[in-house]
Amino acid sequence: MIPCKPTGQRLTLVFLSLFVFSILHTSAQGDIAAGKSIFNSKCASCHQVLKPGTGPALAGLEGRHKWADHNELLKWIQNPAAYMAADPYTQGLKAQYGSMMTGFADFTLKDVEDVVAHINNASVPDKGVTGQTPAAEKSNSNAIIFGVISLILAIIALILMQVNSNLKKMSDDSEGIIRPDPVPFYRNKMYIAMGALLFFAVAGFYFSKAAIGFGRQQNYQPVQPIYYSHKVHAGINQISCLYCHGSAWDSKHAAIPAVNICMNCHKAITTYEKGPKLYDESGKEINGTAEIAKLHEAAGFDPKNPNKWDGSLAKPVEWVKIHNLPDHVYFNHSQHVRAGKVQCQSCHGEITAMDEVKQVAELSMGWCINCHRETKVDFNYSAGKGNKFYSIYEKFHNDIKNKKMDSVTVKDIGGLECQKCHY
Amino acid sequence: MKKIGIITTGVVLIAVLAGCSKVRRNPGRVYMPDMAYSRAYETYSSTENLQQKGIHYSAKPVAGTIARGDMAAYALMNDSAGYANSQSIINPLPALDAKQYLEAARLYLINCGICHGEKLDGNGPLWNDGSGPYPAAPKNFMAADMKAMAPGTMFHSVTYGKNLMGSYASQLSTEQRWMVIHYIKEKQAVTTGGKDTTAAVADTTLKAKLN
Repeated sequence: MIPCKPTGQRLTLVFLSLFVFSILHTSAQGDIAAGKSIFNSKCASCHQVLKPGTGPALAGLEGRHKWADHNELLKWIQNPAAYMAADPYTQGLKAQYGSMMTGFADFTLKDVEDVVAHINNASVPDKGVTGQTPAAEKSNSNAIIFGVISLILAIIALILMQVNSNLKKMSDDSEGIIRPDPVPFYRNKMYIAMGALLFFAVAGFYFSKAAIGFGRQQNYQPVQPIYYSHKVHAGINQISCLYCHGSAWDSKHAAIPAVNICMNCHKAITTYEKGPKLYDESGKEINGTAEIAKLHEAAGFDPKNPNKWDGSLAKPVEWVKIHNLPDHVYFNHSQHVRAGKVQCQSCHGEITAMDEVKQVAELSMGWCINCHRETKVDFNYSAGKGNKFYSIYEKFHNDIKNKKMDSVTVKDIGGLECQKCHY
Repeated sequence: MKKIGIITTGVVLIAVLAGCSKVRRNPGRVYMPDMAYSRAYETYSSTENLQQKGIHYSAKPVAGTIARGDMAAYALMNDSAGYANSQSIINPLPALDAKQYLEAARLYLINCGICHGEKLDGNGPLWNDGSGPYPAAPKNFMAADMKAMAPGTMFHSVTYGKNLMGSYASQLSTEQRWMVIHYIKEKQAVTTGGKDTTAAVADTTLKAKLN
């Protein structure tokens, strides 16, 4: 039999099995595997087992209405319109969910048994969901060990120097040599000069590094209003970058999607269950379901009443923009993504592995220019592929033909000209 | 006394350094803010102060407005009558040529394939035979009911959403939606043995081009 069910349901099912068995001489014990495949192909578009979707949740359906009698259920599934005409309960369901169920005239009683068996099996929540262990925390223990070792060595060196000078003094005393008092090291001109040089070198290094980094935002990783994990969406679930940031293909900006695009999926996905455990940068565990609830809050969506949602009342989520170029720099996404066929990851790093996104590239001018120097342009239009625009560069095409150059880089077609980006 | 001072300074310094986090939560400062930050309203800048003055900078377009270069708007309403009537709407685009077919395939894979599957079998990564995160089974385009569905009805569903599927009108233009419908219908025709000859021709020319 089916494991772990409330006694009432089990009794109902036992009686029902006996009843059906006596009438039809068929086994009422549905085949869970067969039921799952029928459920997935015919029911699952609208029904979920534990949560209401387009139609009601099916868990415990035998306890509702007359559904304990599978013949009634079959009649309803085969022809909902005819069944509903004389049945106030299903009329009420239509009013509640706003649409009538699609009929499946080819359903058989065996199919019903199988599907019910699958539903009863699936309505028992999984016990002991295997949570994945968090990734081992990357520690900088090496640095600490080296630091401690050098500190200890420095102390030992100091002690030895002290011991050395004491011993020298003792030997001088015993041999009767009178030396002038040694000049302490902080008044020794040689030491002072060396120290000053070292100080200027080190300080100069850090000063110029800080001065260059001023205005750059590499590694910027702000806290977002909703903990949105790119790793879960773009990595594990393989959603294309352009599904949400589609305007990177068509326009200057890789726009942040509006709430309606999130709700394409999160109208149905209301809990975070199947992915790995989430942690923020300080190692605190994140409750994925609570983060989805923040989205629903912004969208004005009530998961208990999915059909009542009015998307026009949604409020925007105020995401924090990470990649900022100064106003005096022009950058166009479509020019790079569509014409240049640059992968998103070349500039944004391994986005598919990031929970919280951070700026990987330094987005400095040197960084841009370097890529323009190295990146080859696909000049090969003759094959019907490539960009027709480049056919105007007649000289380069001739040079390639005459083997004067083997490839054209962005630099050659004006990628280093100031006015291309600053105007 | 002097030693105690040195020791305390050292301890404080170590504590301060240990307190530093590698996570950068602050964007930092810039040399010339007037050159770095736009004075004009940019894409993601807040327009709140404009709204207070009654200026709706990012208002919705007037109903019935057609974007420049876009096709005429879809006339049917999002109700059961519109859904029923949509089957009589025919695809206004001519059959896809090889280049358009590639573009339609790209659009399908980005926007639809995630649920409906790369092979149009209703088994994309989000469903994955029920083990993906999406709780509802996406429609299998290769099933008989979807092969029989009129292109107009498909377009209606993509435009307004159907059951748990949301509207894709914000992600795909009218023309792109019709292109995707063409793509699905051509793929369906290929597996049924090419009842749609134009699709079969387009497919073979495509293969010829790709080879």
